[in-house]
Amino acid sequence: MKNRLKVLRAERDWSQADLADRLEVSRQTVNALETGKYDPSLPLAFKIARLFDQSIETIFQDEA
Amino acid sequence: MRQPMTPPMRRYLARFVPAMLAYVGVLVGSLWVIRHLAPTGPLLWALAVAPAVPVIAVIAIMGLYLMEETDEFLRSVLAQSMLWGIGVTLTVTTAWGFLENADLLPHPPLYLIFPLFCASMGLAQPLVRWRYQ
Repeated sequence: MKNRLKVLRAERDWSQADLADRLEVSRQTVNALETGKYDPSLPLAFKIARLFDQSIETIFQDEA
Repeated sequence: MRQPMTPPMRRYLARFVPAMLAYVGVLVGSLWVIRHLAPTGPLLWALAVAPAVPVIAVIAIMGLYLMEETDEFLRSVLAQSMLWGIGVTLTVTTAWGFLENADLLPHPPLYLIFPLFCASMGLAQPLVRWRYQ
């Protein structure tokens, strides 16, 4: 699923490791999320949305 | 890109290493007693099956890690790798069985099946991870 994680992270000048720490996941997880090849669970998606103070739909796009 | 270990990974290692040391100790001890003291009856049964106990503990330790890992991506990679391990193990043992039926292959000791599962799961892990790069 496409997402804006990389952009949102760059806007805040965070490294993948910074984002991983804030989400309490591994850096591998952040990397897999950013490639769009791994879709997060609903709880993790909400955590991401809350961290960036945006709705899940504005961060993740589920169109083909 | 080696990652720092998550706390469940550290717990896994803290359980796995003693279990493997116990396995070596029990295996050597059991073989020695069987060979040199030639026990019979229930004692022989108990001694013969003893090395399986730490191996079963390792299986449980792997299951515990899968349950305790809180990182959902790492858990997903491990679960998929385990499925690959199961698939490879069932494929190899099924094919082997039929080849053995035709006297083309010898009968292997069944305790080699778990190492076969571990090896194929281990080989699958980097491949599964690579799919998310």
